[in-house]
Amino acid sequence: MIEIQNLSVFFGRTIALDHVDLELAPGIVGLFGQNASGKSTLLRVLGGLLPPTSGAVTWEGAPIGSAGEEQRARIGFAGHGSGLYLKLAIRENLILFARLYGVPVTRVDDVMEILGLGPRSSTLVGELSAGLKRRAGVARALLHEPDLLLLDEPYAHLDDEASESVSLAVRSWRAPGRTAVIATHGAKRIKQFTDSRVVLQRGRVITHLSAEALSARAQV
Amino acid sequence: MRAGGPGFVGKTWALVVKDVKLELRARDTLPPMVAFAGAVAVLLAFSIPSSGNLSAPVRIVAGSAPLTDVLAGFLWVTVLFAGLIGFARTFEVEREEAAIDSLLMAPLDRSGLFFGKAIPNLLFIVLVEAILIPLFAILFGIDLGGSWAVLASVALLADLGFVAVGTLFSALAAQTSSRELILPILALPVLVPVFIAAVVLTSDLFAGSSLDEVARRGWFAILVAFDVIFITAGALLFEFTVE
Repeated sequence: MIEIQNLSVFFGRTIALDHVDLELAPGIVGLFGQNASGKSTLLRVLGGLLPPTSGAVTWEGAPIGSAGEEQRARIGFAGHGSGLYLKLAIRENLILFARLYGVPVTRVDDVMEILGLGPRSSTLVGELSAGLKRRAGVARALLHEPDLLLLDEPYAHLDDEASESVSLAVRSWRAPGRTAVIATHGAKRIKQFTDSRVVLQRGRVITHLSAEALSARAQV
Repeated sequence: MRAGGPGFVGKTWALVVKDVKLELRARDTLPPMVAFAGAVAVLLAFSIPSSGNLSAPVRIVAGSAPLTDVLAGFLWVTVLFAGLIGFARTFEVEREEAAIDSLLMAPLDRSGLFFGKAIPNLLFIVLVEAILIPLFAILFGIDLGGSWAVLASVALLADLGFVAVGTLFSALAAQTSSRELILPILALPVLVPVFIAAVVLTSDLFAGSSLDEVARRGWFAILVAFDVIFITAGALLFEFTVE
């Protein structure tokens, strides 16, 4: 369970998140909103990459960012950048992160296969298209099979086939107790497999449909 | 999927190998450092008249100084600025594609990130010196006899402190838009003691002092103390500069 209490993030005078209160149960959470609605900021706070200006965020009872290496080992994050090194091949990048996370190298090939990156495994990341870079970033986030997966616009620059490979990777990662928060401004791609949905507007939560609310809605 | 995997040293070493591999492919840090150092050495060779006698006085603004002092000073000023050129690029590869986020989220102590950056920086500066010092010796007729190993030790001690400070402050400077300007402003005041010590000891060696004589100088102890303090500080404070 992720608990977000009275979370605000300011960048100078700009309010990125404004008194956000949320409880996110395990499952796949769709985080929707237009550009500059605060989705990326919320994901960075959840990943421990950005300290809140005020408020508190806990995951399984522990404050995000303060639990150190053990907590970081259980979080996977793919932001706007791929988080990879341009002068290393996809496989070299993933092997580097496999070493940092203590993951067997065989997992690198598995995750590349799931995301359709196998044929490009020896290509330098700097030579990839934006869509392939995005998929490689998702592969890095999924590499260590995290318990909390944070994906920021994972479908950007992807065609239908590539989008489906990302959705498939997320669905096959899914397991009881795991939580994914997937931010996107287009709900179409993930609507069919989200367990709950949050809509942000100008840093505030305007809609939060829990799993129960969504299933009740589906029965109507 | 969390197997035991490599420990602190193994993970840090993976980062070192990564930076060396990136430099071998991109060649955007070491070549500018070497080019700067080489250019300065050659320019100096044309501006400092060498009589072949290193103890001969050289006229300077404030009077005169032995040529050994002048050459030692120029040697270390060249190393200092070549190093700053390299250190300013320490986090460039992490800025592209937001790889710094991936590193910060990895389960590795921040001191591992510090050593993962400091060790490649040390390697680069040692390589620059491996070219620069023989070049100085050829251009200015420096014959250290059996003291080359002592000079290498002094250089390594100076490099350790230099790299510790440079890596620590490069993490701070990397978060600003004018990092090439910020890094010298932050690092130079802190680096003054280490470079004074390096210049004094190198000048002694150029003048023919032995290992025992150099080791007895207070500057040698200062160099060692500086290294211990700033390597420890770098490892402990890196967390606060990189986040």
